Amino acid sequence: MTHPDFEAQVDLYLDGELAPSDARELEVHLVQCAECTRFRDKRLALRAAIKAQIPALRAPEALRRRIQTQRRSGARFRTTVVWRTLALAASVAVVAFGGWQLGVQRGRGETLASEVLTSHIRSLMPGGGHLTDVQSSDQHTVKPWFNGKLDYSPPVYDFAGRGYPLLGGRLDYIGGRSVAALVYGRRQHVINVVLWPRDRDPRASAPAAQTRQGYHVLRWATPEYSYWAVSDLGLSELQDFERLLLQADSAAAPQPR
Amino acid sequence: MERERFEAIVLPHLDGAYTLARYLTRNDADAQDIVQDASLRALKYGDGFRGSTAADARAWFLAIVRNTAYTWRQRQTNAALVTEFNEDLHSDAGAAHDPAIAMDLRQALDQLPLEFREVIVLRELEGLSYKEISEVTDVPVGTVMSRLARARKRLQKALT
Repeated sequence: MTHPDFEAQVDLYLDGELAPSDARELEVHLVQCAECTRFRDKRLALRAAIKAQIPALRAPEALRRRIQTQRRSGARFRTTVVWRTLALAASVAVVAFGGWQLGVQRGRGETLASEVLTSHIRSLMPGGGHLTDVQSSDQHTVKPWFNGKLDYSPPVYDFAGRGYPLLGGRLDYIGGRSVAALVYGRRQHVINVVLWPRDRDPRASAPAAQTRQGYHVLRWATPEYSYWAVSDLGLSELQDFERLLLQADSAAAPQPR
Repeated sequence: MERERFEAIVLPHLDGAYTLARYLTRNDADAQDIVQDASLRALKYGDGFRGSTAADARAWFLAIVRNTAYTWRQRQTNAALVTEFNEDLHSDAGAAHDPAIAMDLRQALDQLPLEFREVIVLRELEGLSYKEISEVTDVPVGTVMSRLARARKRLQKALT
């Protein structure tokens, strides 16, 4: 494969659309090719900027209400058609099932977001809560601490040089499983990062960024992990931090043997 | 049955539908009208939906929203070409937008042709896969990829 081919694959790679074997090949190339690495970093910066500047929106309440009213009056009108198309009953059942799945999926995203937030708030409570099980700014102390406690070894970084020092880590329980929680600092603010091996359907259901009770909750995924970050830090700084993590993960992506 | 069905297919995707319509029209009132119109169509033609998964339902509804927006725009363009040139008057910043953040990239997005803007919104904001985007926009996956690449190239310029 030639350089232009690789460059064309960077977008697919970052979009999670590249086959694993091609992804590995590209990762090898990225290590050797400064130009492609620069290109990838530019794309990562673009992604972060899009996230920060081009928000996904919420449908206004008035619109939601109008549509629900319309549904009620529309449903009466539709009844006769439904009778005429009883033959479609089977497909309707399929749709209802799809809807159920969908409800479950969205529900799960929402539940996870509130579990992550609860974990953050509890970790900061005086007395009862605890922030870290292992308190260290050394990533080589924090990472091995998880050995034997989880079925994955979470990537741990120290961004002290960039103003986000590592404070430690702890074991937490979110979404029905034990997960790694990593604690980073930013001035007087605390950032909790929780991650676990990527869900089967990573596009779920919770928005990439949301604000709850004055905290910002970010969600993203790398090819390997589903990530959540929560903090009372300003949204743009928290998103800068997300970008640091994304870049670090991408640089540390598995090397070939 | 009817109500549950509508609730399952359309209601969970109102945010995504509004986001798409809003960025396509650059205008809140039009976006609301389009989403309402699209949900009426979804109600009417709901039997045309043959998918079985949550992602299918989302792609199906977003395709209706997108087509409604295109029809809407066509009608407007026919009625008064002036509208197109007065867009600055209509477009207001998103409600969730932080005014402290520079608007450069947002402006760059607004200036992209529709077919570029929609792939960015569907991919970056709504997290659709290439295949889903191809279903919503009714073009092959290869076209989705090349549009995304070209759209990103243009947005990238606004960053530097």
